[in-house]
Amino acid sequence: MANHRFRQLFELLYLLVLKDLKVRYKNSVLGYLWAIANPFAFAFVYWVAFKFIMRVQMENYSIFLISGLFPWLWLSNGITQATRSYQNNSSLIKRVNLNRAVLPLSNIIQEMAHFMFALPVIVIFLALNGGHAFYWSWLWQLPLMMMLQLAFIYPVALIFAVANVYVRDIEYLVGIGFSLLFFATPMVYPIEQVPEAFRGYFALNPLHALIASWRAIFLHGQIEPGLWGYFSLWIALLTVLGFFFYRRMSGRIGELL
Amino acid sequence: MSPAVECNGLWKAFHERNPIGIKDFFLGRKHVRKYDKYSRVWALQDVSFSVQQGEAFAVVGHNGSGKSTLLSLLLGSIEPDLGTIRLPRRIGSLLELGAGFHPDLTGRENAFLYGSILGMSLRETRERFDSIVEFSELGEAMEHPIRTYSAGMITRLGFSTIIHTPAEVLLIDEVLAVGDAKFKEKCFDRLVQFKEQGGALVIVSHELEQLPQICKSGMCLDQGKVAAIGSINDVLKHYRVLMGMDAELVL
Repeated sequence: MANHRFRQLFELLYLLVLKDLKVRYKNSVLGYLWAIANPFAFAFVYWVAFKFIMRVQMENYSIFLISGLFPWLWLSNGITQATRSYQNNSSLIKRVNLNRAVLPLSNIIQEMAHFMFALPVIVIFLALNGGHAFYWSWLWQLPLMMMLQLAFIYPVALIFAVANVYVRDIEYLVGIGFSLLFFATPMVYPIEQVPEAFRGYFALNPLHALIASWRAIFLHGQIEPGLWGYFSLWIALLTVLGFFFYRRMSGRIGELL
Repeated sequence: MSPAVECNGLWKAFHERNPIGIKDFFLGRKHVRKYDKYSRVWALQDVSFSVQQGEAFAVVGHNGSGKSTLLSLLLGSIEPDLGTIRLPRRIGSLLELGAGFHPDLTGRENAFLYGSILGMSLRETRERFDSIVEFSELGEAMEHPIRTYSAGMITRLGFSTIIHTPAEVLLIDEVLAVGDAKFKEKCFDRLVQFKEQGGALVIVSHELEQLPQICKSGMCLDQGKVAAIGSINDVLKHYRVLMGMDAELVL
């Protein structure tokens, strides 16, 4: 019975993600090609901006940038969308008895799918820059790291989504927060550039651990045990927090929407 | 045999938080009395009833008498402040047909998604898909995006999908009033069939002539309180008096 319900939830999630992807690409001429074309164009813009316009002097800067950019896009787009998921699905929540925790998750998995579409783009840029374009260790590192990032994002998204039902200002704060974090997290610059006095504080940012872990995988095919450990600590903390927050606060979603 | 639906002493209030404007924030709220910060409206007060398997239960009342709140409580989309609700796990709701539909998806895609939202497995939907199409009489249109559908067609797809979900209780809000006359009759027959197979129905409706055909019992709500409960004719008589209609004349 429990197995049946779990399976049903899984199918619901699959159909919701499929719906989002279909709706997004159905009416465009290029269709699903956009899933690849879009990240490619995006990476290209950043590459031109930082390499030729700002002329950053760091070695291999473009792959340094792009390897951190796509995990970041998944995180920020996923959480931003998930924050609004209860508002966007208010008619569903009021009229149908469904497991509400699934809705923000479907947003995040949809963005995860887009991250996966962007993987070939990262490989192309690695190859273009003469880097090592493929590591066999990716076969287990990439899925594992994706699961870690998913486990990190989901409780955050769930908390924001529920909180946004109570206080609508959350969705604006999330938007502002991410533009701030984009520069507060060593993303367009390496952490070594941060003055030594503050570097310790920057390293406390779990998003730094996330982005740096991705970089180690993409650029060197390696995992950094220290970063993974610290990041996992955050996952455990957020999971507990998200669980209790959701259990305490989700009951009134139906009447507040 | 235990009843399919059982509600005991349901109370539900809505707390409306009066928003603080920027002016109030800076100038204080001297002109606002303290208890104005929250206003509380009782939507339901001490409502109890039960519905047996194979029985249909009517809920009537003015607009705003608490009927929809009651259905939301039964559905589980809101929680009662006090009281208990006992329900089987699988509840079907015909509250707003097509609430989960997306205009850019085809009728087929929407049927699968909606079925899943309503708790059906993919296998169950696949098994019943032909029957869903047949009942809705949409045929070829199932392959077109539903933004091309008329309101009646969307209703057909919604009703048809919901009626094929395996539910032990169906909650119905005014949907008997939609669609053309022929489809309406078909839906009505289908609900009677559902009832005869042992399903329980809770029906909110303003179509007073139709209700006695399917419901034996019911209740009338007035400002969140049970004004009358019992046999359908007594309840409707009471409702007509409440509405200011002459009971003798109408019956």
